[in-house]
Amino acid sequence: MNSSRTFSLLLIALLIFCFGLAAHLQPQFQAWENVREQSDDFFQLLLGDSSRVFANSAFVEADVYYHSGYYPTIFDSTKAFETPHIAEDTGAVASHNEGDETGFMGPPRDWIDAFGRHFIPNRHTHLDEGGPTDDLSTSGEVREILPWLKLSAELDPEDVRTYIVTAFWLRSRLHQPREAEQVLRGGLRYNPGNPQLLYELGRVYFENYQNPAQARNIWNAALRSWAKEMAGQPDSVKNDFDNRFLVEQIKTHLATLEEQQGNLDVAILIWQQVKAVSPEPASIQKHIEELQKKEATQLQVTPELP
Amino acid sequence: MKIICALAGVVIKELYRRKDFYVLFIITILICAVMGSINVFNDKQVIRYIKDIALLLIWISSLVISITATARQIPAEKENRTLLPLLAKPLTRTQLIFGKFLGCWVVCGLMLACFYIFFGVLAATREHQWPLLNYFVAAFLHWMALGVVIALTLLGSLVFAAPSSNSTICFVLVTAILTIGRYLDQLALSFHEPARSIVYSLYFAIPHLEWAFGLRNLIIHDWPVDAWAFYGLDILYSLAYIGIFLLAACLIFRRKAVN
Amino acid sequence: MSVILKAEKLRVEFTTRQFRKTTTKVALNGLDLEVNAGEIFGFLGPNGAGKTTTINVLLGFIQPTGGAAYLFGINVRQPIARQRIGYLPEMTYYYKFLTAEEILRFYAKIFKIPNAEAERRIDDVLKLVELEHARKRLIKTYSKGMQQRVGLAQALINNPDLLILDEPTSGLDPVGRMKVRAIIQRLKNEGKTVFFASHELGEVETVCDRVAIINNGELKALGPVSEIVSQHGANLEKAFLDIIEFQPETVA
Repeated sequence: MNSSRTFSLLLIALLIFCFGLAAHLQPQFQAWENVREQSDDFFQLLLGDSSRVFANSAFVEADVYYHSGYYPTIFDSTKAFETPHIAEDTGAVASHNEGDETGFMGPPRDWIDAFGRHFIPNRHTHLDEGGPTDDLSTSGEVREILPWLKLSAELDPEDVRTYIVTAFWLRSRLHQPREAEQVLRGGLRYNPGNPQLLYELGRVYFENYQNPAQARNIWNAALRSWAKEMAGQPDSVKNDFDNRFLVEQIKTHLATLEEQQGNLDVAILIWQQVKAVSPEPASIQKHIEELQKKEATQLQVTPELP
Repeated sequence: MKIICALAGVVIKELYRRKDFYVLFIITILICAVMGSINVFNDKQVIRYIKDIALLLIWISSLVISITATARQIPAEKENRTLLPLLAKPLTRTQLIFGKFLGCWVVCGLMLACFYIFFGVLAATREHQWPLLNYFVAAFLHWMALGVVIALTLLGSLVFAAPSSNSTICFVLVTAILTIGRYLDQLALSFHEPARSIVYSLYFAIPHLEWAFGLRNLIIHDWPVDAWAFYGLDILYSLAYIGIFLLAACLIFRRKAVN
Repeated sequence: MSVILKAEKLRVEFTTRQFRKTTTKVALNGLDLEVNAGEIFGFLGPNGAGKTTTINVLLGFIQPTGGAAYLFGINVRQPIARQRIGYLPEMTYYYKFLTAEEILRFYAKIFKIPNAEAERRIDDVLKLVELEHARKRLIKTYSKGMQQRVGLAQALINNPDLLILDEPTSGLDPVGRMKVRAIIQRLKNEGKTVFFASHELGEVETVCDRVAIINNGELKALGPVSEIVSQHGANLEKAFLDIIEFQPETVA
């Protein structure tokens, strides 16, 4: 009896000692590790900075699903898949693809390769264009890319591309604007004031919620954010294709919004700014002239008040 | 044949009285349940990632069970000294090898049936369709591929001293075949001679299990599963490799002292 | 009397290779042996004499380097030679995940005994070895003595004409040994032949008709127990020690 009581007391004492030691050492341990240790994100805690590598893999996996499994491996030619098609098709990301996307495998190398191709997906398709069955009524199956995009966003919350692509597919193909808005706002939490995310958010309000006032505010905020980011940057950065493309897109949409709202003078002003950065200034100028004629016609029709 | 079936029966009893399959089955169900409970932007129809993970888990579980169960068949008989009373009976060593193979293969087939039924039910909960024929083809070709793995492992159990080393080597070999088997010829080009010739020869010599493994993608992404002639040829191909490995195992076992 | 078991100039060599050095050990050197139908034959020898090697050759576990062995006139290399024998190994281990009944049924299938006949024999042998009460329990729950009795049961399942026993009473208590002796005697009365290796000289002296004594792979003595005893000493133990030329160490 005495020995079992002694043993129990020793065990309790050991537990108290261990607890006390852990409590004493915890602040010191936290001081050794910085962001990772204090992170409340599971993946950040588990993987640290290597989560970015996995995030990219998840993003590519979404593109694999977009192609229903027909995708090049590291042994095939990937030139036509440098920019994942789920991103390229949004129009929001610059494309670096070239080459044949339908025949990256090339002709069969031998009988084993030829035989094996009957067991794997062997045709280039996109989920939103009918997928393997070429049945457009199943284009909603593009939803299957979403889990991988969600995972990619969680692994690398600072990758803006993921939020943009996810929001695009949610709002435009799956008709889920609320979810698209949530994704973009989630992205803005980790990337406050990011102009690309604000631009996409504006599109949700303009195209899906039919709320031009809010869309205008958001796009103007995007432009201010962009200007703030570019302040102090050399011209080569400001004139970088991606940066110029973004500004052109925001201003194009703003101009279109103002046109629809009947604010032609504001629209013309913005189109002139677009013309300055656009690679097609001639067509923009033509559109400006049409607006100017329309504005003039409107002024003539509207009688002057006494 | 009766003797081979009797031997297979003992193997089947052993494997279903062990807990390996049940543990892996429950783990698979749990992981799939967790995956299925994830909210993906309030869309309840997303299913392919679950199918992908489920099929991957099924492949991993089936390889674990088949390799570990087969790797310990003959060594366990030797270690537990049950081999001597067995060989003292009027049966040949060839019958013993075939009986062990058949037992392991049948158990793997039953296990696969359970897994694929679970997979089918899981997919049907969201897809509301049940392409039975596709699942059957995938399961059958999977089973044939496992037959090759089992025969290879049985051969390994006669070559390598310990079940652990045999299991490890078989796992590494099978994983390598599944992941890069199709690309060994391209990999060979990056080597200099004689490594290039060796790798190129390996490309033609190894059993191409990745064909059955690749069928996963057809099931996950709803491709039509209708290349019947090729599936039939794959079955014959698998049977040929099973025969080769079992023949080699019989030849080695016949010369081995068992005392 | 017909010869059930025959060994002709049996030679077994074991070759081992270590650090480029090849060593050959001769386990059996020209062993000649014959066992007649219906007799109980004792096979004696010190540890490492070659008793188990002889049994391994008879059962086809190892191939002889020279000579041949026959069971019922059939070369032991052929599996059919083992159709009419029962074997009880020295160490009795059976599939722990099976019950006694299942093991016997399994072995009955290997002997291609029809199902109805097999069930009847299972009942008989389990009754004989007094394991009826535990027939549905897994082997892993059995004691050593019970496992030994399962071994005896599986050796008898095919109603063998020749029983090969390797240390059949090893690990048994005196009651168990008595029962095994009674079973052996009963088998003899039924006209079966029993060939057993043992270190229990008292037991051998009691039950055996003839004995063979081997040492260092060679046959040293063969004949009825009484003849050997009368030639070499007061009892079988003394005769055995004399035959194997045992020299006791002198304690200073």
